[in-house]
Amino acid sequence: MRLAWITAVLERELVELLRSRLLLLSILGPPLVIVIGPVILGKLVAGRPLPAGLVAALLAGRPEWASLSPGDLAAAYSFQQFLFFFLMLPAFIPLSIATFSIIGEKQSRTLEAVLATPIRTSELLAGKAIAAAGPGIAGGLIAYLGFASLVRALYGPELFAIVSAPDWLASTFLLGPAIALLSVVLAVLVSARANDPRTAQQIGAVIIVPLVAAVIAQASGRLLVDATGYGLAALVVLLLALAGVRAGSWLFAREAILTRWR
Amino acid sequence: MNPSAASSPNLAVVTEGLGRRFGERWAVRDLCLELRRGEVFGLLGPNGAGKTTTIRLLAALIGPSEGSARVDGLDLVRESDAVRSRVGVLTEAPGLYEKLSAVRNLDFFGRLQGLPTAVRAERIQRLLRLFELWDRRHEPTGTFSKGMKQKLAIARALLHEPQVLFLDEPTAALDPEASAVVRDAIATLRGQGRTIVLCTHVLPEAERLCDRIGFLRTTLLRVDTPARLRAENADGVVRVRLAARAEPDLLAVLRATPGVAAVDAAADGLVAELRDAQSDTPALVRALVAAGASILEVRREAATLEDVYFEVMGAPADGEAVA
Repeated sequence: MRLAWITAVLERELVELLRSRLLLLSILGPPLVIVIGPVILGKLVAGRPLPAGLVAALLAGRPEWASLSPGDLAAAYSFQQFLFFFLMLPAFIPLSIATFSIIGEKQSRTLEAVLATPIRTSELLAGKAIAAAGPGIAGGLIAYLGFASLVRALYGPELFAIVSAPDWLASTFLLGPAIALLSVVLAVLVSARANDPRTAQQIGAVIIVPLVAAVIAQASGRLLVDATGYGLAALVVLLLALAGVRAGSWLFAREAILTRWR
Repeated sequence: MNPSAASSPNLAVVTEGLGRRFGERWAVRDLCLELRRGEVFGLLGPNGAGKTTTIRLLAALIGPSEGSARVDGLDLVRESDAVRSRVGVLTEAPGLYEKLSAVRNLDFFGRLQGLPTAVRAERIQRLLRLFELWDRRHEPTGTFSKGMKQKLAIARALLHEPQVLFLDEPTAALDPEASAVVRDAIATLRGQGRTIVLCTHVLPEAERLCDRIGFLRTTLLRVDTPARLRAENADGVVRVRLAARAEPDLLAVLRATPGVAAVDAAADGLVAELRDAQSDTPALVRALVAAGASILEVRREAATLEDVYFEVMGAPADGEAVA
């Protein structure tokens, strides 16, 4: 693969992204909500102790939280609910960008002109994948860093220690990027067939279903994944993404795009 | 492939039995063609006849199912990347990034062609000035008219100065002014010695621009110069201009002349339909002279390219729409 060709595609994708106000808004909006939401919620629940059954379930999974005051335990519990929401950013943002990008090119019929140049389809796919996954991964990381800084400033070191524990770090720095890659692969697979970005996003949103299930399980106190769990999950997601890359590269071949994409 | 034809420096495109199948259906089959450098070759045929597939094959966008071809001396299959850097393609739709300006569009495609920054800048300026788009170079192409978009798409196809150009319906959906600009551009390119393959449904345009025309329906049915195609397909209609109006007596004499199928008076003389224009015209002239007619001009009516088109193509096949 040649870097100059990948960079050309990447730059054009990013310029187009910056000029798509609606897409930009839909990408920037959720991170703001996810950063500010848990901080406000933490303050709201801090004065209200959790039900005894839930406390028991939480402490069984996280014995290190036993030293927290009832108010801080309630805040820590509310923060933990949002951990999975931080994973939705690398899932949702690349999906939005990649589907808009690929289906947008199908609609404006620009791909044939691109494919008539000496660019290789692997370079085109790489440029598009980086342009889609990059903002998703960056969005997840920046949102997490913003959130962690607010927790440090507003709640003090004890609760900051919770949101900077290995499980949060493994989730943000390992599972997040793996989900972003899987999201791009899904976007390519779906976009090859779909002709409307919103339809493609709805189909591709299947990636969010396991995350929603995890949120529900965690809210009930039944699921408290540790760093190893997140590391393993990242590995599984990465393997799924790599399997998808094989199918994606077949679908993203020059001939397939020109003759099979409708 | 004939080795001498394949390597001839005067030939820009050489194909030998080129074909492409999609599933069980052949889109193009047994395409044998030799295009000279500097030649404008028109490809005519109904929708679904294989014109776009032919362009995609020759521009190394898709691979052949059978046969072989060389474009600008390069093997279409083994050197497909290099072929794409030597040919320019104007696709059926302009295919521009509408949020980007004309300059950004061209710059992006210039980068994909591997052109250095300075070369890109110089050529972009030259082409945008040539196509009279320089003043609007920083505006998003989504605000351009169809004609402007088409001109920009042609500029994009020329950016890397390809030796062979494939133009798929370059004047489709353009108003007469924009069409004229595009036709002038094609004529200029021909003057620069580039080989151009032109797909069009506009038959007068093909006649005006092309050195040779090929009629395609899955395979090439006929290839020749427009003049020869018209001459060979001319029917037996002869127009005679007379000094005086053709009287009924004169028409009756002519109708009785052997070889004359029909005669009608016209404003400036008469129109005769002969069974064989080549052999029956002298008899017609002799009959006119014998009847005392003052002949100013005798002209055999040539067939139009449209006549030739329908003659060659015959009835449309299933799945085709006549242009």
